[in-house]
Amino acid sequence: MTIARIWRIAAREALAERGHPDGFVAAITFVATLILVESLAVGPLAAGQPPVAAALFWIAMAFAAILATTRSFDRELEDDAIDAILALPGGRDALYGGKVVALTALLALVALVGGLLSGVLLSLAIALPGHLALVLVAGVLGLPPVIVLFVTLALRLRARGALVPILALPVLVPQLVAATNGTAAAIVGDATGALGWTGLLIAFALVYSVLGLTIVPTALE
Amino acid sequence: MIDSIARPTAAIRARPVLGAASVVALFVALWMALIWSPPDAAMGNVVRILYVHVANAWLAYLAFVVVFLASIAYLWTKRPAFDAIAVASAEIGVLFTGLTLVLGSIWAKPTWGVWWSWEPRVVTTAVMFAMYVGYLLLRNLSNDLERRATRAAVLGIVLVVDVPIVHLSVTWMNALHQLPTVLRPDLSPTLDPRMLASLVAMTIAFTIVYAYLMTARVDIERRRQARIIEARA
Repeated sequence: MTIARIWRIAAREALAERGHPDGFVAAITFVATLILVESLAVGPLAAGQPPVAAALFWIAMAFAAILATTRSFDRELEDDAIDAILALPGGRDALYGGKVVALTALLALVALVGGLLSGVLLSLAIALPGHLALVLVAGVLGLPPVIVLFVTLALRLRARGALVPILALPVLVPQLVAATNGTAAAIVGDATGALGWTGLLIAFALVYSVLGLTIVPTALE
Repeated sequence: MIDSIARPTAAIRARPVLGAASVVALFVALWMALIWSPPDAAMGNVVRILYVHVANAWLAYLAFVVVFLASIAYLWTKRPAFDAIAVASAEIGVLFTGLTLVLGSIWAKPTWGVWWSWEPRVVTTAVMFAMYVGYLLLRNLSNDLERRATRAAVLGIVLVVDVPIVHLSVTWMNALHQLPTVLRPDLSPTLDPRMLASLVAMTIAFTIVYAYLMTARVDIERRRQARIIEARA
């Protein structure tokens, strides 16, 4: 049963992360550093504007997701575990699905900490916290299906570190635009806007999850 | 295997004919675009850049749809010929998308007053350009013929999502860029008949040029594949 295997891979990933939380620590440090540096670069007043704060946050999240996913696959490669997983029946689907589930959980934690940090550092007055939580969940759901897909495509290639952002960021443009606008709408109190962008983010997450589960197993050798 | 890969196909044998047809078609289309068609009431002679700009954009769409179809065919059959078609079409597509952006920028200066505008059609075209540059980069980072072809085919399928987004972006979002004048939902072009005829002629000419470039590039790729297989044997 593929779903059971997906959960097994995700649980294995969570266990590995609990033992050595280098992916989570790297991602959260990266998000915090990037928010701090970007806010300093544009100036705290400009960075505190809802659309700017939202954009800075989601750009940091996209890069953190790439970092965490690359780290997760590096761990498989270092342990030679990936070949064993791929050799199992249904192992390719399970690897993609399991990584997406595990990365989503990790990014949810990173978004929570990063979001709180942004709110405190930039003194953001959030008009609709419930809507903001919805946008954050939908935005987090939209990143892993695309990023795991591209990390898988670039697996075992030289210059992978440079290649994954080059491939993933243009494809992530709609998700970044939707997440930024949705977050800004929730901060300023535009409920309709926040819900509209949330719906779009969920649609993108669904499309890329189905696409990933359909074609990524073909790309895995 | 090596013989069958290196053997010229009927399309490649037709290259001289396509080359001659390209020259004739381009000559006729340029005459129509530069001399026969009238200047625009508002833009004057500046409008003549439309003929090459639109033909370039059409070729970019065509090239990336061919990448998509060849990618599906490769994953289905695992025949290297489809991979050769995909890479050839992607390279031509990147070239013509780049030219579309440059020509659009040149046209934007006298009409919009700026070289670059952050409007949806321009931005989505630039994103499409970046995506397919990434596709070519992915191909260049692997030496293994089958793995490279498989990865590129998966990417070629994923990236085609952007082609309808680019075309429909002006309809979905309010923008400076004019709405479609030929490929409209109601199939009724809004151009002057002589302008429309010139545009169609230029588009046909560019499509013949695409076919010519494809035969040349596919031939080069097939020979490269044969060399790699020969070296491996």
